[in-house]
Amino acid sequence: MSLAVTPGRIIATIALVLLAAGCDDEGWHGKNITGLMPELEFRLTDENGNRVSEDVFAGRPVAMYFGFTHCPDICPTTLARLAAATRRLPEPISQDLQLAFVSVDPARDGPEQLDKYTGAFSDRMLGLTGTQKQLQALTRRYRITYGYDEPDANGDYEVSHSSAIFVFDAELEPRLMLLDSLEVPQMAEDLERLLTMP
Amino acid sequence: MKLASAIVALVVLLAGALWWVGQMAPESPIEVDNARVRLVPGGGPMAGYMEIRNHSDDVIRLVGAASPAFGNVMIHRTILSDGRARMQHQSDGVRIVPGDSAVFKPRDLHLMLMQPKGALEVGDQVEIVLRFEGIAPAEWPVAFTVVPVTLE
Repeated sequence: MSLAVTPGRIIATIALVLLAAGCDDEGWHGKNITGLMPELEFRLTDENGNRVSEDVFAGRPVAMYFGFTHCPDICPTTLARLAAATRRLPEPISQDLQLAFVSVDPARDGPEQLDKYTGAFSDRMLGLTGTQKQLQALTRRYRITYGYDEPDANGDYEVSHSSAIFVFDAELEPRLMLLDSLEVPQMAEDLERLLTMP
Repeated sequence: MKLASAIVALVVLLAGALWWVGQMAPESPIEVDNARVRLVPGGGPMAGYMEIRNHSDDVIRLVGAASPAFGNVMIHRTILSDGRARMQHQSDGVRIVPGDSAVFKPRDLHLMLMQPKGALEVGDQVEIVLRFEGIAPAEWPVAFTVVPVTLE
């Protein structure tokens, strides 16, 4: 058996290293969804109680996460990572990127609750929620689901939800899914690459 | 024979010293480190994280927790699969074999601290009583530090 270093071996090794580092074949840490899903469109109520559509983000890219405020572990962890990644971005894209938290638990997440919650992560994070019909219309668009467990004796219940962050460009086309496994530097790298693309 | 006496004396002295060290305050059967509560605004539940080490010779099990600062405390684990997140109540508790530890950390095991009774601030100390099976006493009060929600 030969152990000679050939160009083929070097390329294979580089590919393996890239895979081990969690990059896909295009070098994204997250998942490139360009052209796979329809542009952003919704009717929801924001954290100020205003009825809004996707126009609220018009002209600027947005990173959107679906969760609920009675979620003490994964939601704050993901939102804090997103906010930290945004702070790492160079100007002006750092100021340009908008952050959105869509609660799929409208029964417990009114505008006031959403406002307090999003404010803990970033001034630029907008809380949104809506009726079940409005939320289903939005989540189905991006092939994600959410659901509720049976309430316990105290009336508390768990909500299952999508764990990825969806990133839309300035034309509100879905471009990237930042998966739950990504750490702050990887998120920042993907966001910077996407938002500085010509 | 002076040398032999000296050696015997030395051995006796060393044995005595070893016995004395062995009799010093016995090691606590468990140790809880880095106990913290992540502050979530809005009156919703918060997460408690920590590392519990089992120094005893027995298998122990964390079976519950309670706190004067929260109406209800549950042991939960976040399950991430197929792009979905959900929480799982650990109804059998958390088993820790001798010499091992259980790490409660973001995106994994956590204490779910529900119905906060008062406004908490970063830097506050909150008492949470951990209840075990396999050690005595069964209840261990632990001081948790309130940390910012942005800290992992």
